[in-house]
Amino acid sequence: MNGIEVSHLRRVFKTSVGRFRRKSKEVVAVDDVSFEVHDGELFGLLGPNGAGKTTTVKMLATLLIPSGGEARVAGLDVVKDADQIRSRIGFIFGGERGLYWRLSALDNLRYFASLYNVEPEVSAKRIPYLIEMVGLKGREKERVEGYSRGMKQRLHIARSLIHDPEILFLDEPTIGLDPVGARELRGVVRDLQDQKKTILLTTHYMFEADALCQRIAVINQGNIVAMDTPSELKKLVQDLSVIELEVFGVPDELLNKLRMLKFVDNVSVEDRDQKQALMVQTTRGAEAIPDLLPLFDGIKVGKVTSREPTLEDAYVRLVGGDKHGPE
Amino acid sequence: MARSNLRNWARTIAVTFEVTLRQNFTDAFVIFAIIFQPIIIAVIALWMLRERGGDFAIFVVVGAGMTGLWSSLLFVSGNSITEERWVGTLENLVAAPTPMPVVVFGKNLANVTQSLLSMIASYILVAWLFQLDVQVAQPLIFIASIFLMVVSFICFGLIMASLFILTPAVQNFQNGLEFPIYILCGFLFPIALLPGWTTPISYLLTPYWAARALQGAAAGTASFNEIALCWGMMLLFSLIYLAASQRLFGYVLRKARVDATIGMQ
Repeated sequence: MNGIEVSHLRRVFKTSVGRFRRKSKEVVAVDDVSFEVHDGELFGLLGPNGAGKTTTVKMLATLLIPSGGEARVAGLDVVKDADQIRSRIGFIFGGERGLYWRLSALDNLRYFASLYNVEPEVSAKRIPYLIEMVGLKGREKERVEGYSRGMKQRLHIARSLIHDPEILFLDEPTIGLDPVGARELRGVVRDLQDQKKTILLTTHYMFEADALCQRIAVINQGNIVAMDTPSELKKLVQDLSVIELEVFGVPDELLNKLRMLKFVDNVSVEDRDQKQALMVQTTRGAEAIPDLLPLFDGIKVGKVTSREPTLEDAYVRLVGGDKHGPE
Repeated sequence: MARSNLRNWARTIAVTFEVTLRQNFTDAFVIFAIIFQPIIIAVIALWMLRERGGDFAIFVVVGAGMTGLWSSLLFVSGNSITEERWVGTLENLVAAPTPMPVVVFGKNLANVTQSLLSMIASYILVAWLFQLDVQVAQPLIFIASIFLMVVSFICFGLIMASLFILTPAVQNFQNGLEFPIYILCGFLFPIALLPGWTTPISYLLTPYWAARALQGAAAGTASFNEIALCWGMMLLFSLIYLAASQRLFGYVLRKARVDATIGMQ
């Protein structure tokens, strides 16, 4: 059985531009997306900013009506059966929004329990359990405004589980968290996986998708460009090696020059504090280094290493080498 | 099924009521709108009306109290939807199984009930600080009128909330609705002083009938027929608002899902 079934889903946003002679403009956020998530599966939707991840999740969570296609959650249609779906799903959207900051965690959970029609005797047991599960025990009576970002994110998880839903949508749950907070939250997601919840996780952190998801769909510009298990996706780049160069201020002209080289498949750059990591995907492995270095004339180059490709490299190849920051 | 729904809704209304009050009383703007603004209006009204003589003290208490009620409904109830959208909880409310009008009913119940403090604050000011004689001639009719007023204001608030859900742009008209209602509904002076063409507008506003019933019961000048008319109009408008809001919520929530305005900041 599939907990989530998405078929040719499409969503267009209409905006208008101009002050006096307003012209309407259409933006296609989700173009043609199809996938299924099996019962009890943790499925990842991976893509850069603006790829259509959040829009897809919002359609599945009954917050947006699709412009085309079809989507079923727990066997129910997201447009016609929205009311029935709502009691069977939980969702969180990344970031600190979505909680009542002037209330305590306890009051937030009590309020959402009533909104989800959880009987008082059930919520009396479930709220302490959830607070313990997300590591907020001892702080549950404090106002949320005093919580760290990680604590708020974990409270979001508890909120989304208050009615014990069978299907969960986690939209970038670790966004903006420090490494410790993100690791703790991933631990909570693993616990949910152990409880056999059907989970759709969106993220643009490759290692997170690799570590958590059983299958991954890579989405780019509103379309699914690949869908498989993390190990199968990595095979997309098994013919390549990655030369990683530590550089300080790499100009766009150099990147273009590198992309023109015959033995270079893809080039991407990642900011790391004061420096940048330049990743060159090549079919020639470490042998390519002597041919690459002369191009860096006048640019400070630090450590140079050659390594096996990761899921991240497969992702870069699929979405065309452009890596962005958080949404 | 219907019975369990009703029980769930009653519980949600009670929890929403409590949660809304807890949040409101930590918000300085709410305290200003329901306590300080009516007091300022009451002081100005006392200076204006004392020259006129007669039994003006209770008129000031009722009138200033009603300004607090209206401001609370207009700003606190309206802003609560805006704030929900701003802090990202509106999506949670819309996507919850409890129907949105039930949640808004609980919020409005809290906002309207707390704004009765406006009348109490005005009473304390007039009776204790200004040492004026404040007496309600027909207390039972007065209390019953307050009850009906609370119900009709809550129902009116349902219409307002649905418009706030539709689009944040409604907020642009919010300020312009505060003082015209004070004037058109005769909170602080009779509508007979206004041009004749405004009277039909006043008749269409439930706060007008509430003010007329409260002022009549307080002064003891209203006949049975007069009070019955005011109560009847409040009930009629409440039913109209309730029925209209049900249709409006259905339309607005669907349109907001099409236009993607629920999560808009």
